[in-house]
Amino acid sequence: MKQQAAKKARRRADLKESTRRNIVKAALSLFQSKGFDETTTKAIAKKAGIAEGTVFNYFPTKEDIALHFFNEELDHAIASVRRNPRLARAPLQEKLFALVYSQLEYLAPYERFIGAAVVHTLTPSSKLGPFSTSSQLLYLRYVEFVEQLMNESLPKDQSLARLWAPRAFWLFYLGVVLYWLHDTSEDKQDTLAMLDRSLTITVRLLFGASGSAKRARKRR
Amino acid sequence: MSARAERTKEPPSRSPVKRAARMASLGFGVAGSYLGYLLQRSFLGEDTRKTRLAAAHTKAARRMRHEMQTLRGPAMKLGQALSVQTGVLPDEVLTELAALQREAPGMHPTLVRAQFKSSMGQLPEDIYATFDELPFAAASLGQVHRATLADGTALAVKIQYPGIGDAIAADFEWARTVSKPAQVSGHLPRVALDELERQIVAETDYVREAENLKLFHSGMASLGYVTVPEVFPKLSSSRVITMSFLEGDHLDDFLAKRPPASVRNLVGERLLELFYFQLLRMRAVHVDPHWGNYLFRDDGTIGLIDFGCVKYFDRAFVDGLEQLFLYEGSRTSIEFQRELDKRYAFTGQRITTGARKTLMRFSDQFYGRVFPPQIERENELFDFGDAAFLREYLSASRELIKTKGILTEYLFLARAEIGLYQTLHRLKARIATSRIVRKYLNRPTARRA
Repeated sequence: MKQQAAKKARRRADLKESTRRNIVKAALSLFQSKGFDETTTKAIAKKAGIAEGTVFNYFPTKEDIALHFFNEELDHAIASVRRNPRLARAPLQEKLFALVYSQLEYLAPYERFIGAAVVHTLTPSSKLGPFSTSSQLLYLRYVEFVEQLMNESLPKDQSLARLWAPRAFWLFYLGVVLYWLHDTSEDKQDTLAMLDRSLTITVRLLFGASGSAKRARKRR
Repeated sequence: MSARAERTKEPPSRSPVKRAARMASLGFGVAGSYLGYLLQRSFLGEDTRKTRLAAAHTKAARRMRHEMQTLRGPAMKLGQALSVQTGVLPDEVLTELAALQREAPGMHPTLVRAQFKSSMGQLPEDIYATFDELPFAAASLGQVHRATLADGTALAVKIQYPGIGDAIAADFEWARTVSKPAQVSGHLPRVALDELERQIVAETDYVREAENLKLFHSGMASLGYVTVPEVFPKLSSSRVITMSFLEGDHLDDFLAKRPPASVRNLVGERLLELFYFQLLRMRAVHVDPHWGNYLFRDDGTIGLIDFGCVKYFDRAFVDGLEQLFLYEGSRTSIEFQRELDKRYAFTGQRITTGARKTLMRFSDQFYGRVFPPQIERENELFDFGDAAFLREYLSASRELIKTKGILTEYLFLARAEIGLYQTLHRLKARIATSRIVRKYLNRPTARRA
């Protein structure tokens, strides 16, 4: 009996998950083809082949769908940095490069939608905006991961920079996304170059690559 | 910049070199660091320069190399080109630069993969059986990785740095600004900078480079002692070239093994022959003159790599030029002058008096000496190990490159020849120069009786 109930519950959970995926997939394809602002929940429901009410059960608004997507994107990026054992020993700028690059790779098929989403990120009343709790959670997750990466690579006496650097990195990331969206170079070569160069410079400026390590050694 | 530094007697740490280097290290482009250095040198008097200790050169060179290595691409390339072309740099700096030419400045593996995928649509491991994510060499505007095919074929995969075109433009814009005083003083003519930029931009075109490789691979097949990598077009793109891997040592490593004079002479002779073979038979010359482009083997065979910079010459130009090789009359005569003028006629350009004078003097001073035209002297050995000769030659070449109205063709040839002579000098090669040139001349009078 118990086993059967557990099986049933699992099946229900699977079904729920697949519906959620369906909705997100349908929404993303509409966001990309029609535009974020032009897409209605009705259209999403139709494309996903479910009732509009069902969409609301999963996501109260389309901003929630977008947030879900960005959380998944972050999961993917964190996993791809962690999955690579070599990166654990890599310099900070390479880790940060890997993080941002895998984010951009994930976003690449949805460029049009990302453009609209960035505008919403700067709109105070939007769920994607800077004052919404749900987007704050996403922001904190991101900052926490960047902090982890910085802690792994930096000498312990860099506490001051470590306080604000991960937060500043979030802004840097948004800047990179904007640059990437407007990058008309072949295969977005300029974004790669900009990301590589700016990370090298930023890490050097913030933590003075060799200087800080030397100072740390002296103190010890 | 450096003039001011001289006047105010700033302490060394504030020198333009260091300031420029520091700016460069902050991403303003290494052209700055190198040109800062070059400018400072240009303003130093000959005597001051001479009194400087070699140790100081080495230190400056190391520092420069260190700064340059932190950046990638065009700046490094600019450094290389300037180092060979201008000839104003001391040997210590050249040695450091030579090391720089080979040592990977490093796109990190994550960037390599990103760059590879953006160009090929797949990751390296999807294409090759093995792929070394750490480069084994820095190449022109990129870096080279080892890889293998499923059948075990050893490969060299050259991958370009991202966004190189814009970086070149930015570096040169900066170089032009900071080198204004040197341009005015004539130490670094604007035309030389323009020419360099054209050359470096051309090198970003990997499709063209692959074509050059193919041409040289087949064109040089008849010379048994030289190997050129084979290109795999299906595994190449505008920013990636997959080619076969060539074995061999770079010049420094080759010389470190103390090869016997017979091998050094043989290699030198072959390098000289390669130059004339390219110019007179192929009418296409590998004009990137730094010795990082040659691989040497103990048996005297040579590998030729990096075909980013190949200059194709017009048949009319080459045929005319040939008339000047092993010229038997006086090189200051009116007849020789007429021959020279003809080289210009085909371009529609009029030779300037200054250019004519410089070319005639150069030819008289050097070619007549290095390549004795008389058939009875064709077995005479010319000693490229002669340091005084090289110094004189470099300074005269610099003069030549600086002269207004010199044909671009001559600029290219001068540059290639400077690189060649420097390599021959380092090999301390003694070569029967005229005999080699004579092999490639079509003039009946110049041929062996």
